[in-house]
This record gives sequence, C-alpha cells and structure tokens, in this order.
Amino acid sequence: MESEDDMHDANDIDSLDDDFYSGETEDAPLDYYSDYDDEADDYFEDADRIESRRPEQNFTILKESDIKQRQEEDVTRVATVLSISRIFASILLRYYNWSVSRVHDAWFADEEQVRKTVGLLEKPIVQLDNNTKELTCGICFENYPRARIEMASCGHPYCISCWEGYISTSISDGPGCLMLRCPDPTCGAAVGQDMISLLKSDEDKQKYARYLLRSYIEDNKKSKWCPAPGCEYAVTFDAGSGGNYDVSCLCSYSFCWNCTEEAHRPVDCGTVAKWILKNSAESENMNWILANSKPCPKCKRPIEKNQGCMHMTCTPPCKYEFCWLCLGVWSDHGERTGGFYACNRYETAKQEGVYDDTERRREMAKNSLERYTHYYERWASNQSSRQKALADLQQMQTVHIEKLSDIQCQPESQLKFITEAWLQIIECRRVLKWTYAYGFYLPEHEHAKKQFFEYLQGEAESGLERLHQCAEKELQPFLCADEPSREFNDFRTKLAGLTSVTRNYFENLVRALENGLSDVDSNGASFSRATSSKNAAGSSKSRSGRVKGTFRTSMSSRMNDDSHWCCEHCTYANVKSATTCQMCYQQRR
Amino acid sequence: MASQASLLLQKQLKDLCKNPVDGFSAGLVDESNIFEWSVTIIGPPDTLYEGGFFNAIMSFPSNYPNSPPSVKFTSEIWHPNVYPDGRVCISILHPPGEDPNGYELASERWTPVHTVESIVLSIISMLSSPNDESPANVEAAKEWRDRRDDFKKKVSRCVRKSQEML
Repeated sequence: MESEDDMHDANDIDSLDDDFYSGETEDAPLDYYSDYDDEADDYFEDADRIESRRPEQNFTILKESDIKQRQEEDVTRVATVLSISRIFASILLRYYNWSVSRVHDAWFADEEQVRKTVGLLEKPIVQLDNNTKELTCGICFENYPRARIEMASCGHPYCISCWEGYISTSISDGPGCLMLRCPDPTCGAAVGQDMISLLKSDEDKQKYARYLLRSYIEDNKKSKWCPAPGCEYAVTFDAGSGGNYDVSCLCSYSFCWNCTEEAHRPVDCGTVAKWILKNSAESENMNWILANSKPCPKCKRPIEKNQGCMHMTCTPPCKYEFCWLCLGVWSDHGERTGGFYACNRYETAKQEGVYDDTERRREMAKNSLERYTHYYERWASNQSSRQKALADLQQMQTVHIEKLSDIQCQPESQLKFITEAWLQIIECRRVLKWTYAYGFYLPEHEHAKKQFFEYLQGEAESGLERLHQCAEKELQPFLCADEPSREFNDFRTKLAGLTSVTRNYFENLVRALENGLSDVDSNGASFSRATSSKNAAGSSKSRSGRVKGTFRTSMSSRMNDDSHWCCEHCTYANVKSATTCQMCYQQRR
Repeated sequence: MASQASLLLQKQLKDLCKNPVDGFSAGLVDESNIFEWSVTIIGPPDTLYEGGFFNAIMSFPSNYPNSPPSVKFTSEIWHPNVYPDGRVCISILHPPGEDPNGYELASERWTPVHTVESIVLSIISMLSSPNDESPANVEAAKEWRDRRDDFKKKVSRCVRKSQEML
C-alpha cells in the first residue's frame, strides 16, 4: 500500500460507499427478499452484476498459448523495427530480459556495441571461399563436404554431429543454453534458434523451447508464474494502476503479485513477511511450549516438568514453590488438598497479592509470548478453517449440490447461493486470518485504533461465524430429508442474506485497514461522541447519512442501549425508528 | 562400436606421435583404453619448475569433446592451482555451465575446440604463471605470495624428486 493510494482511498471512501450501496445491495436484494419465488432470477442477475462491477483488473492470466503468442509478437516487433532477422531479434530480447523498449533504447544508442556484446555479427569472421568443396570441422578435425558443415554468424565451421553434441550438452546443462555462443574461445557469436533446429533429438528441441518459454516469464519483470503447485499459468501485472497486488489465477489460487505469498489484502507485504518470518522462527517453539510446559504461576516463564513429584520450585531468581497440578502455592498443600502428591484442588486460585511495578513489567515481558500465542492461534485456526472450507466447497460442488437438487426438486442453477456462501466464507477466512497478523503489529499505544480495529474485527468475525455455522450445520437437515422441505426457501433467504451481510462487514474491515484505520484520526472525536450521545449518529436516517455513519451507528448501539433493536437475521443493531434492517434490508419482526 | 570421442582421441594421439610438440610427451596408460592418457610435462625453462619431469593422467569422459577431461598429476607438485591430491584446477577444464555468469567468461572455459595439445599447453603456462586469486592449494598460494623463498624450496624439492623417478 503506497501512502498516496491510501490518501486517495481515504478521500474516496464515501463515494465508494455510495456506489457500493446503491448498486449492489440496494435494488435487487430488496426485490429478492420481498418475494423470492417470483423474482428469483433477479438474484442471479445481481450476482453477475457484482462480478462485472469489480474494480478494473490490473493483471492478465496467460495460458501457454497466450505466452507463446505474446513472445512471437514481441520478436516480430523487434525484428521489424530494427530490420533484423527474427532469430537475432529473439536473441536480443532474451539478452535484454524481454523488454522491447530496452532493446530499442540500447540498439539505437549504440548498435555496434550491442552487436558486439550480444554476439550478433554483421559479417562473418571467417570468410569462406565459394569454391571450397570440403571444410575441416573445428572440433573433430575431419573433412566434410560443404553440406555437412554449419556455422553461426561468425563463420567458424563445425560439422553437424559436433554441433549436435555441443548444443545438446548445453541444453542438458540448463537454461544457459539460451545464451549459447560459438565454440571457438576467441569468438562470441551467438548461437540462435536456427542452429537448434539442426538437432535430431526432439527431446532436446522441446527442452529448448521450454526454456525459451520459461525465460519469457521468468526473466521478464512484468510477469511471474502462478506459485500454486502444479499450476502452469502465468500472470502479467500492470504495476501502474495502484496499490492492490492481489491476483487470482485461473487455477483459483490467489496470491500477492508483489511478494508472491498468498493473497493477504488488506495487510501489506512487509507485515506479512515479518509475520511469516516470526512464525517460522517461533511456531515450532511455540507448539512445543504449549504442549509440554506450564508457565510458572508467579513469573510466567514456561516450565517443563520432566521428572518427579508435583512440588515445583521455579529457578532463581523466582524460586516460587508451587503445585504442578493446580498451580497453587506449595505451602497451602498438605492433607487439606489431598496430600502432597495427588492434589485434588484442581482449580487454579487466582493470584493474590499486590504487584509492584517491576513485577508488572516482568510479567509483561513474559506475556509477549502469550500475546504472540494469542494472535498466532487465531491466525492459524482461521487458516485451517479456510482449508476445511475449501474442502467443504469441493465436496459441495462435486456431491452435495446434485444430491440437494434431487431431494429438494430444485435446478442446480437455483442452488448457486450455496456455492456463493462458501466462496464468501473462504475469502473471509483469508482476510480474517491476516487481520490477526495486522493486529499483532498494531502498536499497543494506539488505543483508539486498537479499539476500533478490534471492534471491526469482532463484528466481521461474528458475522462470519454465523454464516459459517449456517452453511455448515443448517444445510444438513435438507441434505438428509426424503422429500422437498417447505423451509428450504427460508434457508435460502437466510443464507443468501448472511452472505451479503458478511460481505459488507468484511468490505468495511478491509477498507478500514487499508486506510490504516485513519477514520480514527479524523473521526476520533465523533466516534467518542457517538458513544456518549445516543442520537449523534443514530438519528440520521437519510441514505447518505446512514452510509457515512455505518461504523459509528452500530458502535454506539452496542455500547448503550435500549433505543435499538437487533436484526434477527444479521444481528445488526438498528435505530429504533428503522423498520427494515439497515444492514441486510430484512423487515423488522 | 567406436564412438565420436574415441575416434577423435585416436586421431589426436596419432597426430601427436607424428608431430611431437615441444614441452611434453603423451601416450596411453593402457593401450586398450583410449580414454586414459599419460602425459609427461617438462618443467618450462626459466621457471621454478625448470628441469622437472612431471607425470599426469588425463581422463576423458565418454562425451568428449563436449565435456572436458580431468587432469591429475601423479608426480608430487607444489603449485597454487594444483590440489594437494594432484588434480589440476584451471578454467579451461571447467564446463561453461558451472558458472552462473558463464557466457561472459566463455572464452576462458571449456569448449569442444580444445585438444590434448591445447590443454597441456595451458597447463605449461599455468606452471610459469600461477594464479593465486582462486587457489586450489591455499597453503601453496599463501607461500607463493608471502614467503617466496619457502615456496621455491618446496618446488625445487619436487623437481629433484621428479628427476629421481625417471
């Protein structure tokens, strides 16, 4: 996220909001909720519209055929502009990492120098006498008729079988074969694709073609392979168009173009890198510590019990004596607690006594491990929850949808809302996961930001839990039913509603984090006002007012009050006077 | 079946027998194996190695000349570019693929146009001007640089030994 983009986004947020609400959630869903059966198609039209309304895509996914086509086009362009052969053009492009403009710049700046360094000779070094019938190969020193001898642009003559040996050795050495030069040590002439076609072995020709294709993606700054295992697509990215690096490949894997980690919007690459590094350094330790140790009840240092009785004595300077089982102070133990070696007082007594400042500081230091554990556990559990959801979606698409379609007598196209719910869950789990990395690095002293962040995260998370629960559990009865159930349409309404509400929550969250929670800075005052005065935000019912006040309204409603009602569908807290939910547009019941 | 490699090596052997080159002599270790050559390099005049007769074995791979042979001295020799076990380390014996910047230094590395003669001539020139920047024998390189007298002494000992072996 560049700071400039942040500012841009921050200024634009209201107009984005308007756009977002008026187009996506306002019209069609209203129709669709009010009378689903008649207007079922609206829902799907709407879904299509959402797709097409996504911000302009700044990347292109390339299949192998696309890559080849682009490569050919670039070669043709260079060959035409510089009036050189396509073979030379290809060598030049390879040398300048497939940047047409760099080739042009270098060539027109100093053609002679370029020809020399790249090895594209205008005239042969060795002039052949046209009358020569026989030539001596420079490698095997045999004499051959002219037709059995080949040469690169330099004219050094080698027989075809020596060329074959030379080229195929170089191909089996790796992609360096794309930069092959004449075998003569004093000569730098480039060996191009025309010489490769001399090869007899199709395997070598294919390998060379593969290296050439790979080079077009790997050596080119504007493109990368999709990092998903087994995926053969490449991505070209137009870096000029803003801060969003998320790319989703046709193979359905989403990743960040900038750092090629998995997609991590709204968290920036630096935070992600730090977090991943931290995890790799600490997670194994962490898992071990969690599994095998208990913290000393006094100083919080993790302790591994590797032998003997329950009487623990922490190492100096702490020297606290306690019971391993109940973590209570040892001096309390004896007959009253069931004996020294089998403590039956199994609940941990809250620590008593007053902490002075140094002790508190020490505890904070020990707590940093706990703090990390807190965020790591949540990060990891969202990760695994997402993996599970991916598997569930797969199962849904391959087995359940068809089954459900049979049982409920619905065409599969009408069950798309289930797939969409799962896709939303998967996306939300991803975002939520990364917000825990974000939260870990959010400075402790930024209280307002932290509070705002945790509020947004909490709202989004509880919305997602409801959605996940609904998609996972409430579908089950319909799958096991023998005949169509009347409640199925209610389920449809609920699940589709939750999907769209959860999407809203997450878009709020993403936008807020991408702004660096800047709403807190500019609106911090109104934020706190809203919490103390009921009507500051809640009274505004006009559309624009509602839009701008989204966070604040719901925030205030949570903190005080009987002047609000909670929507049964999405739990959004609405002002008392509203008759439909302002988040999901359901009628108040 | 005679491969390209063995035909080429036989041809080079024949040429060297007919037209011997000053500074070394070459033959096979075992008459039935064209891939193992025994060469004797005469210490080049006006160098520390003058007067020595150093034996070495050249082993050619089956895909010669596309890959380089390896050369190993069997006589004791003290030199910055010769490993303590006798293996010779010079750039023309390295295949170009090993170096990530291979294409820049292609002219100093192995290419199939090299022959037994050009390899041995490179070794002779290595004897007269050691390269102490990427030494195979670090001790020898340090001595060559810092304690030239000690270095000379060790080389003279090798030269004397090589004469006694004759």
